[in-house]
Amino acid sequence: MNEITDRGPQPPTRRAFLGASAALGLAGPGLARPSLELLREAQSGTSAEGGPPALVVVYLRGGADMLNMLIPRREATYALARPGIGIGEEQGRIALDDDWALHPALAPLAPLYKEGLLAPIVNVGSPHTTRSHFDAQDFMEFAAPGNRSVRSGWLNRYLELTSRERAKRRRKGPAETEFRALGMQGLLPRSLRGDYPVLAVPGDAGSKESNAALNRFEKFYGAGGQAAGQETGMDGRSEEGDEGGSAVVKSGKVTIETLRRLQEILGAGEQVDYGFPSSGFGRGLARIGQVLASGEGLEVAGIDIGGWDHHANQGGTDGRHAQMLGDLAQSMAAFALQQSGRLDRTALLVMSEFGRTVNENGSDGTDHGHGGGMLLLGGGVRGGHVLGEWRGLRSDQLYQGRDLPVTTDFRDVFAEVLRSLFDFKTPKDFFPDYRPGRLDLFS
Amino acid sequence: MSPLTENLAMRLGRPQRAEGAPLSERERAVHVLARLAFGHRPGDVDRLVAGGVDKWLGDQLSEKLAGPQHLVEKLDGLASLGLSPLECEEYVYRPTPTNPTGQERRTRERARRLPMRELVEAVGLRAIYSDRQADEVLCDFWRNHLNVSFTKGWPSNIYIPDYERTVLRANLHRTFGEMLAASAKHPAMLHYLDNHLSRRPPSDQELAVIERAVRRETGSKERGSEAAAIAAQRGLNENYARELMELHTLGVDRSYRQKDVIAAAAALTGWGIDRGRQSFSFKQDRHIEGDKKFLGYPLRKDREKGTGQGDRIVEILSGHDHTAEFIATKLVRFLVSDNPPRRVVGEVERAFKKKGSRLPDLAWAVIEHGEFWSRDNYRSKFKTPFEFVVSALRATDAKIDSLDRIDSVLKDMGQPVYRCDDPTGYYDTAEAWLDPGVMSLRWKFALELSAGELFGVSVGRNFYYGLEEDPNPLRWIDFLVERILPAGAAPRTYLMLFEAIREHTSGGRRAELSVLGPQIVGLLLGSPEFQQQ
Repeated sequence: MNEITDRGPQPPTRRAFLGASAALGLAGPGLARPSLELLREAQSGTSAEGGPPALVVVYLRGGADMLNMLIPRREATYALARPGIGIGEEQGRIALDDDWALHPALAPLAPLYKEGLLAPIVNVGSPHTTRSHFDAQDFMEFAAPGNRSVRSGWLNRYLELTSRERAKRRRKGPAETEFRALGMQGLLPRSLRGDYPVLAVPGDAGSKESNAALNRFEKFYGAGGQAAGQETGMDGRSEEGDEGGSAVVKSGKVTIETLRRLQEILGAGEQVDYGFPSSGFGRGLARIGQVLASGEGLEVAGIDIGGWDHHANQGGTDGRHAQMLGDLAQSMAAFALQQSGRLDRTALLVMSEFGRTVNENGSDGTDHGHGGGMLLLGGGVRGGHVLGEWRGLRSDQLYQGRDLPVTTDFRDVFAEVLRSLFDFKTPKDFFPDYRPGRLDLFS
Repeated sequence: MSPLTENLAMRLGRPQRAEGAPLSERERAVHVLARLAFGHRPGDVDRLVAGGVDKWLGDQLSEKLAGPQHLVEKLDGLASLGLSPLECEEYVYRPTPTNPTGQERRTRERARRLPMRELVEAVGLRAIYSDRQADEVLCDFWRNHLNVSFTKGWPSNIYIPDYERTVLRANLHRTFGEMLAASAKHPAMLHYLDNHLSRRPPSDQELAVIERAVRRETGSKERGSEAAAIAAQRGLNENYARELMELHTLGVDRSYRQKDVIAAAAALTGWGIDRGRQSFSFKQDRHIEGDKKFLGYPLRKDREKGTGQGDRIVEILSGHDHTAEFIATKLVRFLVSDNPPRRVVGEVERAFKKKGSRLPDLAWAVIEHGEFWSRDNYRSKFKTPFEFVVSALRATDAKIDSLDRIDSVLKDMGQPVYRCDDPTGYYDTAEAWLDPGVMSLRWKFALELSAGELFGVSVGRNFYYGLEEDPNPLRWIDFLVERILPAGAAPRTYLMLFEAIREHTSGGRRAELSVLGPQIVGLLLGSPEFQQQ
């Protein structure tokens, strides 16, 4: 019993969903063919759920190779630079328009693009030139390139600032939901670290073993209110002292309460199979979606996919990279379907610390580059276009003759997402040393 | 009154200690085993009380070779541990054809990962089993202070085992300056913080040579100027120079400015790696020569040749007053409290500044200060995941056949050995580890360990030795609390244990040691008290 098994939605209900969606004209093998119209229609129906606008940030750790995700069709250099791993027309790349094509493994994203729900952003990145993973990730997730004194994530800063303001306005009234923000993984991504308390959901939350543990320790940690905090400690000191760990008890209490509630949310409602893959990411994103749909008040969620540092054996249409892209795309398409009721208020942003070299290297892979790309999915997104400023692939158009240049500061994207989605105007020092650039991401 | 509540009343009636009362000898033993060891093993507390806590400390902090035979044997089985980087590279080398099959690639990858797996295993085994516990605890401190990480990728796999041995362990009883100097020239650090890439920017003359060569080779003028443009970008890499000051010595933004970072980076140019010998080499052609000024000290060209200027910088930094303060604060935070008491820090600073003082002297300065022993600092520090897991394995006297599962548990908890991406190393304060949610992973580990569900790890039957004879489960509780929480459990914890007995024996069932015993142990390992040190 060493393997942690954790099953997502079960097949029988998939049939039920297919039946229901057939009525909506949504059916078909692969089922991920959401149309904007149908999504809107669905929104007026029963699946429309409450809750505030929400942002899901997906971080591809390792420096994802954007150039093999969104392929420039008119650049002759592309095929020359990537004789081994390049994705040509004959490799089945999926044309979005005259200029751009998707990697075939990203096929589930094509309908979303065509429906105007998905916008790829090209040549996004950091003004800092580091090619170190941890620096680039720190700089990006703290949204402070080159500035090492900032140690809180940009999303956490947003949560903290707005939480303080809301508290001022609210005074009395219900406390803020514990589910306002979460990381769907055991340790928070850096973008969510900081003063604002964010729940880190362990991968096995909701599993039999995890529930057993919660049940076992519930009374220890005083969830439910009686046991802890009302006794004196063993040395006659109040439990508020350090010994016996009042902070530990408190953290344990929150752990139990929130994971319990999470478990209820995950168990509640119809178990519909939206087509999420059974990968760790697929399951995690499905769970985020369930919490969003529950109306619990989730605003910001983060989840990582590791392993994008493809120095070797990256592969073209099949291989590691293609597999990972398939997982990403299927999960995103399933998420769009799952969120159809509230997609107008939802955005999913995919990012990575940097792009990779234009040229493939000698070992069927690519090395650390500079400019990268992002994917933005959502009902309000100015989708169906490739956004950002593309420069080209000729060596004189590249950064240091080898990498995509950065034409959009990633903070432009962050600022715009916070502004359009949450109506939050970033105060002056929110991004240190930042000169705002303008980028219209939302329609 | 039911027997259970009567029992509780009896326990609550135990003499209680007033706030501020000095620690008893038994509490002192528990305290040092928590702070200068990774927790107690069965019998440790009694042994320390019998032999004297001070004597134990004296033994631990003196330089002696030791290690129980079974640990030595286990470590002997890890063949890559004692190898130099070059030997290690040869050891893991697998010839691969130009177009390797998936199988061949996997074999190669497995071989390359071997040194990492073995080192991680060795660090764990030593922390759990070594009798030289203070060495292990302090090694953990320096490992995080001078962090390097396998996440940097190849060839860190072949560098870091040697780093642990020759930089950390070899210098545990020497001076800070010696350890710092060793780290500065080790391939693991040179690679991790990119100093091996740092070089003098090419001169115009050299750029012209590059341009001409490429132009001639490719026949393209454009390619030539492109190559020159790329070459011109190569130059100083400030990464190591900055972290050397910010993280290893002075502390962030203390007493240095950007010009000092640049001066240090310039002085350290040429400090690189000879990839043929996989060892430090000074590359004169990459070195920026000339006079420099660093923190107000002149570095003269004529006096310091070769690595001289860099050596001088390391020396200046390791003897700097701010370094003394920075290291002292960090060590006191590690050994005493998340809010380091000012007076203890001052004491350690003084010890640091004493000429020729060795690293154990710093630990002595902490221990000799009364505040280390104050009740406020007793069982008041949250264990990091590593400390929690290791102390649980020690308290239960767990038998370990493989540490793979423990490694993945630590990965889930966010603290796998030698895989901290961030050059800061892992933090050791509660703030860094108490995210809401993390406790559930500790509870699961506690239950799985005690129930024998962790692959490769088991708690032996003899851990419960003698209890089979005793039909009264209340006495099992006493015995097991004594083993897991020798400083005593909170009333709340006893209530939980009683409830477990009540549940287990409901309907008049007889208590089964093989079922109830592990349950009690699991609850104790997951209790709030066991999360603290």
